[in-house]
Amino acid sequence: MKTLRVPRSPKVVTGLAIVGFFIVLTVVGPWIAPDNPSSTAYPALLGPSAHHWLGTTSLGQDIFSQLLVGARATMVVAFVAGLVATLLSMTVGIAAGYLGGLPDEGLSMLSNVFLAIPGLPLLIVIDAYLPVNSRSNAFVIGLIISLTGWAWGARVLRAQTMSLRNRDFVEAARIIGEKRYRIMFSEIAPNLLPVLASSFLFTILYSVGAYVTLAYIGLTSTSVWNWGTMLYWAQSNNAPLSNEWYWFVPPGICIALVGTGLALVNFGIDEFINPRLRASGLSSKQRKERGLARRTRLGLTPVSVTRAPTPRSLQPNPGVAE
Amino acid sequence: MRLVTRRLGLYAVTAWVAVTVNFLLPRLMPGNPIQTLIGKLTGQVTPGEIRAIRLSFGLGFHQGLIAQYFTYLTQLLHGNLGVSITLGATVSSILRQSVPWTVGLIGVSTIVSFAVGTFAGTWLGWTRGSRLDSLIPTATFFQAVPYFFLATVMLLIFGSDLHWFPVLGAYSQNVTPGWNWTFVSNVIRYGELPVISIVLSSVAGWMLGMRNMMITMVGEDFVLMAVAKGLPRRRVIMHAARNAILPSIANLSLAIGLVVSGALLVELVFNYPGVGDLLLQAVLNEDYPLIQGIFLVITLTVLAANLIADVAYFALDPRTRTEVAT
Amino acid sequence: MSYEGVRVDDASAQVSDVTANVTANVAVNATAGVEPASEFSKRLAVLDVTDFSVDYGVGDATVRAVNEVSFSLERSRVLGVAGESGSGKSTLVYALTRLLRAPGVISGGEAVLHVSREDGRVEALNMTTASEAALRSVRWSHVSIVLQSALNALNPVLRVRHEFDEVLKTHRREMSRAQRRARSAQLMALVGLNEDRLARYPHELSGGQRQRVMIALALALEPELVIMDEPTTALDVVTQREIINELNSLRSQFGFAMIFITHDLSLLVELADEIVVMYAGRIVERATAADLYATPMHPYTLGLLNSFPPLSGERRELTGIPGSPPDLSDLPSGCTFHPRCPYAMARCERETPELVVDERRGRSVACWLHVDHDSPPTPVELSGRRLRATVPVGAREEAQ
Repeated sequence: MKTLRVPRSPKVVTGLAIVGFFIVLTVVGPWIAPDNPSSTAYPALLGPSAHHWLGTTSLGQDIFSQLLVGARATMVVAFVAGLVATLLSMTVGIAAGYLGGLPDEGLSMLSNVFLAIPGLPLLIVIDAYLPVNSRSNAFVIGLIISLTGWAWGARVLRAQTMSLRNRDFVEAARIIGEKRYRIMFSEIAPNLLPVLASSFLFTILYSVGAYVTLAYIGLTSTSVWNWGTMLYWAQSNNAPLSNEWYWFVPPGICIALVGTGLALVNFGIDEFINPRLRASGLSSKQRKERGLARRTRLGLTPVSVTRAPTPRSLQPNPGVAE
Repeated sequence: MRLVTRRLGLYAVTAWVAVTVNFLLPRLMPGNPIQTLIGKLTGQVTPGEIRAIRLSFGLGFHQGLIAQYFTYLTQLLHGNLGVSITLGATVSSILRQSVPWTVGLIGVSTIVSFAVGTFAGTWLGWTRGSRLDSLIPTATFFQAVPYFFLATVMLLIFGSDLHWFPVLGAYSQNVTPGWNWTFVSNVIRYGELPVISIVLSSVAGWMLGMRNMMITMVGEDFVLMAVAKGLPRRRVIMHAARNAILPSIANLSLAIGLVVSGALLVELVFNYPGVGDLLLQAVLNEDYPLIQGIFLVITLTVLAANLIADVAYFALDPRTRTEVAT
Repeated sequence: MSYEGVRVDDASAQVSDVTANVTANVAVNATAGVEPASEFSKRLAVLDVTDFSVDYGVGDATVRAVNEVSFSLERSRVLGVAGESGSGKSTLVYALTRLLRAPGVISGGEAVLHVSREDGRVEALNMTTASEAALRSVRWSHVSIVLQSALNALNPVLRVRHEFDEVLKTHRREMSRAQRRARSAQLMALVGLNEDRLARYPHELSGGQRQRVMIALALALEPELVIMDEPTTALDVVTQREIINELNSLRSQFGFAMIFITHDLSLLVELADEIVVMYAGRIVERATAADLYATPMHPYTLGLLNSFPPLSGERRELTGIPGSPPDLSDLPSGCTFHPRCPYAMARCERETPELVVDERRGRSVACWLHVDHDSPPTPVELSGRRLRATVPVGAREEAQ
């Protein structure tokens, strides 16, 4: 197996930094929050100040504290959903791709059905019927979100598995009589690691969006602080139209940043999976030194202006007679 | 032909799954929401309406689950989606008013977004390595912003502050609905900002997908051959783009679901009289018949859109016409 | 280090018989520098390549894929380029036409294409300095190319007709729709395909049919030069045979020059006038096809000849070449072939042999075995006598 080396492009580094920052926030957020996010001890609708970095809500709650505390619920739900969905798509995708035939027909049909049903309306319908106490449970919500978010990954993994199933190492495992589930999960799955990682990040991205959206329309418990409920309260108190931007902009930006970070990391994985997406191998500094254009146009192979130094591999050895 | 048959089969199954989920959900959920609902309603609405609601859930008579299921299906085929609890009208008549707005808004947005994203992605993929690449992180950011949040910000800046666009609703209070230019132009004017919001949120997805496919295609021999043939650059790009667009179209089924999900909330932000706004009201009021009706209609509409995408794919990729589809 | 310049030798001798098969039409001399070629020979040449080098990447990690290659190709002649994968043969021709993809960089030398314009003038176009527009104007109408896999070279979503139409529309603007159709049908007939194939998509054709379509397409504008990059490698032997025969007859009909790249040297023997053998980015031997086949001088050439069964003629035992092509980023010292060479001597490890010309025989080779002074007698297989099938055991000791 190839070693997993994600290209260190600026995009990936930025993405990792953003994601890392929010993971730290998930862990420490509720501890470092200056106030109880539900406490209504302060005057309403204070603008940002040294005391309240992001001001207060119409109930006098500290918005910055809500943002810090809210990070955990948002990220935990997204993580649970991402994990469950990835496990689901791995099982369905690899089984469909490896077993082929009737099981493949059935499993592909299943994932295609889930792909075709629009996710959010289904989520809303399920959620609308949930008892209120389940709506505040991160795991229940995460589970439901994962139910609407696994199908895409399954489809991608199925295709990848099909391309692997006739490889030598799988064939060898089959011949020595390994059990099917062992071939699927200890021979094939490790080779799908980049695809799995990409699918995991994608489902987390989807889950953040789905969870925040459910919270925003008031379908999760409004007493659990997450970025979506913050937006819910801001919206229901007409914060956007009253120009209380400090109330509704920060959670939105946080959501977008998490998403951007995840997507940037995914770029790196995409480049790992599809070598054509990688940079051409000529760094911009070297191009400049050799008088080459910033990018190579198809059908116009660059001609270096300055004479190329003899490549190291061709440097004359001492014994050569001139 | 086989591909089309298969896809039709898939959509039939999907529709059946959606219908069945709709039937089973209220029965599987703890706390028997239907009984609670009917108990709540007694005295508020006429006995006839209660009967219609019970029927739409398949609950007409004392029957087993299977019989209830068939009652439910029969009612569905007759277009009885029940009666809205809060709006006092049949769900189907309510939907008839709001569905066209949603289909119009999302349809136009999706077409614009697909077209813009595909063109931009084509160019980005072709010129990859140029300074234009710095657009990518920005595009990624827009892709990650929730639709409703971006819509709120747009509403705030371009609607409330700058007054560049009229906001709230699908048309001005001062015009009377009808098939005349005054009304139609008013609808277009009111639709601009919601469409722009949805396009901004969804265009990056098309763009980045198309860019990656273009880069992959430019690596193919036939594109090099197009250059070797001395074709003008525009035609070379077309050779690559013509193939790169196929996965985009194949992915429409996933994307339409996401766009619809996002766009429903944009309707909410702009008070647009489509099913999104309606769905949210129904959820807040626990108007189960309406929620279920909306879910069914949205699902069926998305399936229809998928079918159109499939036909387009079928028309654009000759290989699907002779090879066995996977 | 200096490499020989190339010039066309006594062009007048060949004017009368441009399609003759095995005349040595290119000669080389051992002195560096370029002798002024006569006006006449300039007109006769279609491609002059001088000290052409191609790198992959720039900077420290650079790998030189083609190293100071020179050759000249005359009208209506077939130049075969042979070598294993990684020998630089494909890199060379893609770079010559400026079609080489990133990270390929042309790092030295020049390639001049002699383009005959319609009014009979011959223009010299330096490919390494030409603008994009100039390149576009010579592409396909003067130089066309056929790739190994026609399935990849044809756009999968376009009908075959479209490919012809597009080329004719771009380069022959004056043609009407009906004329284009007629020309497409005529071209298809030329390669033995029914014109109803024009309405097909690439995936609906067989491998042989697709390659024929590519050949027909390559001839559409009657270019002076057609480059064939392993056009028959992906085909079965029977189809390969048919296509080679067709190419020979098309060539006698249209008289285009051809560069034919392959790793199958025995195929070239049937097709080419002259053959260059490349190893690790350098030309190691150059001779007429007949000479090369009868009396290979470089041990690598001998190895290649013993790697493939000839399409026709007597059978020879297949022995192949031991080892594998070198890693271009870490080339062996001295002669880059020495680790695989059964005749390697102590000197081969230390010193790089240059391409030396035997003027008398009109061929050249880069091998210490053939440098007359202070080297041992040439092994019998490589001396110019009739070739024997196997490399004798102990040849190495004998050579030292």
